[in-house]
Amino acid sequence: MHAIAVVLAKEFKDGRRDRRALMSAFLFPLLAPVLVYFLLTTIIELRGSDEATTIPVVGAEHAPGLVQWLQERHVVIEEFSGDPQQAVRDQDVELVLIIPEDYQHRLKDFESVPLALVQDGSRTDARQSVSTVRDLLRSFNNEIASLRLVARGVSPQLMQVIAVQDQDVASRQERTATALNFIPLYIILAAFVSGMGLAVDTTAGERERKSLEPLLLNPVHRHHIVLGKWLAASIFSAFGMLLTLLLCILAMLQVPLDEIGMDFSITWQQVLLMFLGMAPLALLASSLQMLLGMFAKSFKDAQSYIGLLNFLPVLPMFYTMFNPVATQDWMFALPIFGQHILLVSVLGGKTVPVIAYFLSASTSLLISIAVALATAKFMERESILAN
Amino acid sequence: MIEVRALKKAFGKIVAVDDVSLIASDGLVTGLLGPNGAGKSTTLRIIYGLLVQDTGTATVDGIDIQAQRLEAQKRMGVLPDSHGLYSRLTAREHIHYFGDLHGLSKDAVVARSDELIRLLDMQGIADRRTEGFSLGERMKVCLARAMIHQPQNILLDEPTNGLDVMTTRTVREIIGELKMQGIAVLFSSHLMHEVSRLCDQIVIIVDGRVAATGTTDEIRAAAGDENLEDAFVKLVERV
Repeated sequence: MHAIAVVLAKEFKDGRRDRRALMSAFLFPLLAPVLVYFLLTTIIELRGSDEATTIPVVGAEHAPGLVQWLQERHVVIEEFSGDPQQAVRDQDVELVLIIPEDYQHRLKDFESVPLALVQDGSRTDARQSVSTVRDLLRSFNNEIASLRLVARGVSPQLMQVIAVQDQDVASRQERTATALNFIPLYIILAAFVSGMGLAVDTTAGERERKSLEPLLLNPVHRHHIVLGKWLAASIFSAFGMLLTLLLCILAMLQVPLDEIGMDFSITWQQVLLMFLGMAPLALLASSLQMLLGMFAKSFKDAQSYIGLLNFLPVLPMFYTMFNPVATQDWMFALPIFGQHILLVSVLGGKTVPVIAYFLSASTSLLISIAVALATAKFMERESILAN
Repeated sequence: MIEVRALKKAFGKIVAVDDVSLIASDGLVTGLLGPNGAGKSTTLRIIYGLLVQDTGTATVDGIDIQAQRLEAQKRMGVLPDSHGLYSRLTAREHIHYFGDLHGLSKDAVVARSDELIRLLDMQGIADRRTEGFSLGERMKVCLARAMIHQPQNILLDEPTNGLDVMTTRTVREIIGELKMQGIAVLFSSHLMHEVSRLCDQIVIIVDGRVAATGTTDEIRAAAGDENLEDAFVKLVERV
């Protein structure tokens, strides 16, 4: 047991002095709050902008009926003065609606009223607003036309051969939830990124610099060596991941989430339980990286294998994105997936049964121990010394 | 004392060690001499417990290496042919690390490493990180960490390979010193003059088998040649 502490202390010291690995390990967590802040404020802005459509109008006073109809549909009518074409070309406004002076007159005579919608077809960002306005005008047209038909005793349905109904599956709430999917992904990735340098350096690195053979000459059990190295890498991984988690929570508390109808609050007990549920993920990530590191022939080899490991945290995110399933308690027991739904739930403001934290922690812990023992077994092989 | 009897080790179809027996007694320097690929390193690796033989026995101070690897390793100080160091640790930290792994007390580690640093004339580099160390400086660190636990048996795999004259001299002096202390020294080399100069006993290995054993004089007599190098070549060709 003493040997585990000796190896742990040495690897920890060695890792702390590796500035480059340290930088890349801790740049990742430090970027977390920036990412969260921008992600969430962008959502809030998007959400805010489609709440009220504003239409710059020339000659609004000629069509009080249309203006009132639009205003009833939460459209803000803005009196526009100046050259509409020039303003659209200069991108001062996205579009301008021009109502002719004889609007009322033509309406009374059942003549078609030409309404000009000045817009720039090359501007993709304005497309949404233009189509919103066009849809609004079309439904106004349909409404008036229907009234005219009814007045003549004709059913307006004769005019409707088909009726297309748009059903946007993504509700605003869900769009927010999708964004919230990225935050757990980032936190879980932190576990894989932060300890990676040390996990590779203490396995493939040790082989490559030919220091493994001298190390194995010491009267120490191989599994004690592996345990010491594993714990050192796990401490780095856990520190990076928990720092990311903490910074993400702090960033989320700073963003006015209530503006998008989310209320996020978290208690200290929940934070501590989260730490408990998440920490074994660090052990799991490090043990997998070490197994691959031992397997690899060189440092470079190991980095490419281990790079593939980083896809593991992405899988649960994609799965839940395309297969939204109701969370059931047993799912928390799935490694990585469990931590993912734990984060989605807690960061999404849902309460999670305490058992879920323990389920997430225990299976990851058990699997990581099994992987670490497999690494130790692998180290017993004579071929470990062959180059 | 190291005793090896009828050792055999094959890697797949390649037989690295076919039949090697030798004794390295306390207070004597035993040289393992042979051309490249003769099985010297494999034999040493079996003795220091990193490879397991197919047949035969190997003991250190009467302890079976295969059965009690850790006990046996405590009694050996080894300079293997890998001389890897940790570039971010100082020379002294390397020596301490191995002392700690041997389970020595903190005071013992400090006292003994100070002594080794003096013995190997490493005062100037002891507290520098090993990144950028010369080959000789690296070798000194490896030697010091191999001897931190004051082992009764020392194994050196080609210890002077690639070293400059000054460091080679230091290594030779240390081997002489160890012999005086009654320690069993076993080292491998393919350099004839080095072996003849340092060894009390020579074991010549060719193709995984012992071709000749004895003092320099005995080997010369066996080959019927006054020049040891010629004697060696004759023995190698005879196999």
